[in-house]
Amino acid sequence: MAEELRTEDMTVNMGPQHPSTHGVCRLVLTVDGEIIRDCVPVIGFLHRAIEKMCENRTYAQCIPLMDRFEYCTSMSCNWAFCLAAEKLGDIKVPERGEYLRVIMGELNRIASHLIFVGVTPMDCGALTPFLYTFRERERIMDLFEMTCGQRLTYNYIRVGGVAKDIPPEFIPKCREFLGIFEEKIRDYEKLLVDNPIWIARNKGIGIITPQLVYDYAISGPSARASGVNFDIRKNDPYSIYDLFDFDIPLGTNGDSYDRFNVRVNEMRQSARIVAQALDQLPDGEIRAKVPLKFKPNPGEVYSRIENSRGEMGVYLVSDGGPKPFRMRARGGSYNHLQAVPHIVKGLKIADLVAIFASMDIIMPEIDR
Amino acid sequence: MTKAELTAHITAGFTGRVQVLENNQPEPYFIVNPDDLVAFARYLHDDPALQMTFLMNLAGVDTGERFEVVYSVCSYQLKHRLLFKIQMPRDNAEFDTVMQVWPAANWYEREVWELFGMTVRNHPNLTRFLLADDWNEGFPMRKGWTGTDFIPLPDRG
Repeated sequence: MAEELRTEDMTVNMGPQHPSTHGVCRLVLTVDGEIIRDCVPVIGFLHRAIEKMCENRTYAQCIPLMDRFEYCTSMSCNWAFCLAAEKLGDIKVPERGEYLRVIMGELNRIASHLIFVGVTPMDCGALTPFLYTFRERERIMDLFEMTCGQRLTYNYIRVGGVAKDIPPEFIPKCREFLGIFEEKIRDYEKLLVDNPIWIARNKGIGIITPQLVYDYAISGPSARASGVNFDIRKNDPYSIYDLFDFDIPLGTNGDSYDRFNVRVNEMRQSARIVAQALDQLPDGEIRAKVPLKFKPNPGEVYSRIENSRGEMGVYLVSDGGPKPFRMRARGGSYNHLQAVPHIVKGLKIADLVAIFASMDIIMPEIDR
Repeated sequence: MTKAELTAHITAGFTGRVQVLENNQPEPYFIVNPDDLVAFARYLHDDPALQMTFLMNLAGVDTGERFEVVYSVCSYQLKHRLLFKIQMPRDNAEFDTVMQVWPAANWYEREVWELFGMTVRNHPNLTRFLLADDWNEGFPMRKGWTGTDFIPLPDRG
């Protein structure tokens, strides 16, 4: 009697340390050939206990830790933490300080999206765009370096304002960058957006429905690619974002292709904001008078800003002492990775890599 | 809705079972009984005037005297937001999962379970999460926790 042929599902470990996982992540996949039947993310490899460490440090000492919370957009992480502390301490930031924060925050958003625009095609097998985007990112890194001396972990935004004023050569250099940037964005689009291979890899793949956005608290560009019009800079304005004229790019299908285009268009809008902020930049103080041993009023606050990966929120409890009593920071990737298993079921392994990249997931933000 | 409108709407809609926590922040803050947690979450999510569809954050807090779980919710549609919390005794901290209302609560609750040692009832997957698989040094986010290589910094003046 002939033995009956049968197939069975196989469990495959993807990672830890898969090159395209944007940090150390492990995905336990149950696959039927190439088709993903189940996906279980295993996290915690980058857990540094930032929340516990913050309880043991003064507010000023916490800011460098927030740099490490999510190192692609350190400025925004500094900003979110300082915003929460300022709300508790009832501190008014001087106007020039707010403008510098917006300039740095938006330049950092461009830098982060440039990493995304370079790395996502790399995960789909196209190496070239990476070299182009990192050329432009280098110019932003130079701007940051001349301002605060750091290229990745800035420790620049402080409670009450910013650490240093910009040097005189910053504004011409920044204008020069903004002048060439639009043309460079068109180059990326020429390389990818109309490229038939890129379209075949990304269009209609990894669809996030608006319902999935609501259920899994997906935020930022990944939510807007699904047509959910939610941007904290517009809907719950913090700092001075209500003074600038900019648009919120929206997608329609919620697939990987839309998520990419939304981010490319967001870079244009960020460049617009930076240009306006440079034009309007007032003179004056950059930092409010905040004592070195800053003690906010007892209380609790949840404050949030629009980070390049989604909502960056900081829940802060103060007991009136010099150290935060409790700090819980929330980054967009935490929720995005949670939603990945619901998106990838039934797709191929190669699609998982592309979807993972298209959601711009970064692990330090998840593990903290 | 503004802070005053939200406060009035919720105290009227969830009569007698919600306590308002006064503060000077722009969003309202409520305290609910742990037994009413799921009903309150369901009410916030389903009420057409509230539509709190977005669970922004969920944080456990050890105040030293009791445990608290703080929920920050927002509406994708109506853009308003609020905070609410539940309070539990330290020696018997148990609360229900809100996963059936906001599926995003899954990982947040796992984290609260792992780092604070609070029990989450009806949660489908309470397993090791952020800490090492062979972790046996207790619940690190509790106040007064000491670990082998954890040295509190001296308080300089």
